[in-house]
Amino acid sequence: MSCSPFDLRDYYFKDLAENERRLTEVHVKTCAHCREELDRLRGTEAALLALREEEIPQRIGFVSDPVFQPSAFRRGWDALWGSAARLGFASAAMLSVALVVFSLTRPVPQGAAPAPAITRAAMQAEMQADFSNRMNDAVAKAVAASEARQARQTQDLLAASDRRHALETQAMMVRVQEYLEVEKKHLNTLILASNNAGSAGGDVR
Amino acid sequence: MIFRAVEDADLIRKARRGDVEAYNLLISRWERRVYNYLLRIVANREDALDLSQDVFLKAYQNLRKLDDPARFAPWLYRIAHNEAYSLFRKRRPEGETEELQPETMEGAATVGGNAVFPVELTLAVSGALRKLTADQRETVILKIYQGFKFEEIAEIVAAPVSTVKSRLYTALDLLKTELAPIKARGVS
Repeated sequence: MSCSPFDLRDYYFKDLAENERRLTEVHVKTCAHCREELDRLRGTEAALLALREEEIPQRIGFVSDPVFQPSAFRRGWDALWGSAARLGFASAAMLSVALVVFSLTRPVPQGAAPAPAITRAAMQAEMQADFSNRMNDAVAKAVAASEARQARQTQDLLAASDRRHALETQAMMVRVQEYLEVEKKHLNTLILASNNAGSAGGDVR
Repeated sequence: MIFRAVEDADLIRKARRGDVEAYNLLISRWERRVYNYLLRIVANREDALDLSQDVFLKAYQNLRKLDDPARFAPWLYRIAHNEAYSLFRKRRPEGETEELQPETMEGAATVGGNAVFPVELTLAVSGALRKLTADQRETVILKIYQGFKFEEIAEIVAAPVSTVKSRLYTALDLLKTELAPIKARGVS
């Protein structure tokens, strides 16, 4: 039974941590029993190494035969994994694809209205609706401008008509007044003539 | 060592792009170690060679599955481990792989035999290794002969590090006992 602080065989096969190895080394220097144990291990290993390796009776080698060669796909695949740049590019491409797939297949949150699926028909309908809205807005603006222009013209015409009517009324009033003046003068003349005729008849009697 | 690891990683990258010659160069660096690992597990040269070829073919076909090229060695040995145990299961379909003992290594007496490592010791070591369980033997091979770290062995055999350590230390105690008479006679 070894008295070493750690397994002497682990020490012999260099399978101890550095501090453990140092402690065992210090112990072995002062322990004859452990030194003998180590000597026995060395002797056994030396005896085992008496059995030398043999030369291989026939060299092994392969010829360049397509049967043993990896396929073109396999070589490309291996080349991809052997290149950091290609691998990085492939990773970025895969990440992009994954993001697109995720965005298209993302589950709808509870309580939220289902997001409309983006399809070609939907996009065309949306574009047509947008176009119609713009067209309607443009037509509405044009109509409003035309109506405003017509209203302005009507107002101008009404104003002009009112002014003409006022002038005509004023002119008619002037003519009526002139007529009245004439008639008044004519009446005065008649009255004066009548008075002159009455005074002439009294004198005759 | 670090420079070598970087070079292996470069060869692996080229092989992944279909460069067979780069892979053949990688094989040339590892075939002997893998062959000897399998040889010591299955204890049969023919099986070890067949399995080695299968291991390198499977490794090439699955090279793109290797996440970290710096971990090529444990990954390659994991394939070798699976191939070896697959062979064990084929030969022992009733599932006795845990207790399976390898066949007697033909010609083991001459393995590496030379003046420095006498035949008697080589025979004794081969015999002692055969007395271990398959798991213990594999752990000894991976640690002593192949020099893997405990974490790497755990990855290869698909077991916790604590289990790997337990297997190795038990095996070393058994081997120490088995080899003691030889060492006592001074053959080392």
